[in-house]
Amino acid sequence: MIAAIGLVVGIIAGLFLEPTVPQWLQPYLPIAVVAALDAVFGGLRSLLDGIFDDKVFVVSFVANVLVAALIVYLGDQLGVGSQLSTGVVVVLGIRIFSNAAAIRRHLFRA
Amino acid sequence: MIGMSARAPYGATARPDASMSLLTNMMDHSLDEGYAEAAARRATGHAPPSRPGWVLAAGLVMIGLLLATAALQVRDRAPAAAQARDALTAEIEQRTATADRLEADLQELRASVAAARDDALGLTSTGSELAATLTGLEAVTGAGAVQGPALVVHLEDADDAGTEGRTDLRAGQSSTEGRVTDRDLQTIVNEVWAAGAEAVAINGQRLTSLSAIRSAGEAILVDFRPLSPPYDLIAVGDSQTMQSRLIDGFGGSYLQVLRNYGIDYTVKTRDSVRLPAAAGLPVRYATVPGQPGQSS
Repeated sequence: MIAAIGLVVGIIAGLFLEPTVPQWLQPYLPIAVVAALDAVFGGLRSLLDGIFDDKVFVVSFVANVLVAALIVYLGDQLGVGSQLSTGVVVVLGIRIFSNAAAIRRHLFRA
Repeated sequence: MIGMSARAPYGATARPDASMSLLTNMMDHSLDEGYAEAAARRATGHAPPSRPGWVLAAGLVMIGLLLATAALQVRDRAPAAAQARDALTAEIEQRTATADRLEADLQELRASVAAARDDALGLTSTGSELAATLTGLEAVTGAGAVQGPALVVHLEDADDAGTEGRTDLRAGQSSTEGRVTDRDLQTIVNEVWAAGAEAVAINGQRLTSLSAIRSAGEAILVDFRPLSPPYDLIAVGDSQTMQSRLIDGFGGSYLQVLRNYGIDYTVKTRDSVRLPAAAGLPVRYATVPGQPGQSS
C-alpha cells in the first residue's frame, strides 16, 4: 500500500515539478529508466516469491541506476558509449524479460 | 577459456550449453541475489528488526520521479523537430500567400497603369500607334496578359515515383526516375517555342526571355517560384501547327522517352486560353540606347 502511494507521489511530483534535467545528465536518463525498470520487476518478482526485502530493493535500484550511468559515462569517455549503452540495455532487458516471465508464471500459472 | 579448461576435469561431463554460459547465467540469475540472501538471513533469525515502510516509499518515490522526468523529457524532445518543421512549413505558406497577394496587387496596378497610358496615348494618332506597338511588345515579352488558341502539354510524375520524393539511401542521392525534372521542362519549353509558341506558361507562371527553370532539392522552380506536379505547360499560338510540329519533332520523341520512364503526358489543343502576365521583368543593367538610363 505504502509502496503504491510512494510510486504515485513520485510520478505526480515529477509531472508537476517538471524537474529540469541538466544537459550533461540527459544521455543517462534512458539508461537510468531501464535500470529502474529492472529493479522494479526484480522487486515484484521477489514479492511474489515471498522473499521481498525493502532494503535490498532500494539499494539494488540505486546501485543499478548508478552503475548503468557509470558504465555509459565511461563508454562515452572511451568513445564506445553507444555500444556500451546497447550492452547495458541488452543485459537489463534480458533480466527484465525473465523476471516478467517469472511474474507471469506466478500470476497465471502458465 | 582458461576457466573452462580448468573446470573440465572436475565436471563429469561438459555441459551441453557451456558455450552459452554467459547467456544462461543471465537468464538463471535474473533476480537480484540480495533477495535470496536477505531471506536466508531472516530464516536463520539474524534479521534486523523490521524497518518502517519509509525506505520502500522513498525508493518508489525516486522511481516515480525518474519515470515521470524521463517521460516529460521524451515528450519535450520528440516534438521539437516536428515543431520546427511545422513552423517552417507555416512560414513558407505564409510567405507564399503574401507573395501571391502582392502579385495580384501588381497585376491590378499594372492594369490601371496600362489603362491610364492608353487613355493618354489615345489622344493623338501617333499615340494610338505607339499604344498598339506597346501592346504587341507586351504580349511577346510576357509583360502583358495574352489570350488565344493554345496547346496544353500535361505532364504527370509516374505513379510509383512517390509524392514526397524517394531517396535512394544506398546511392546517397535522390532518385529522379519517374519524376519530371527541370531538364525535362526546359527541353519541352524550348521545343514548344521552336514549334511556334508566342507565349508560354507553366502552371500559371508566364515565361519570359529572362525566366529560369531550375530545381532546388526535389522541387522545380520557375522564376524562383516552386511548382508542384502535375505540370501544365500552356503555349499560346497556332495550336494545330504547334501540335504537329511538337509531336513530329524532337519534342515528340523526348515525350516518348519520358513515357518510357512512366511519366504520363497528354498534348491537347484548346480554343482560347488566357495567360497571365509575368510576375516581374527586372532589367537591371540593360538600358535602351539614346534614352537616359532607367533602373528596372
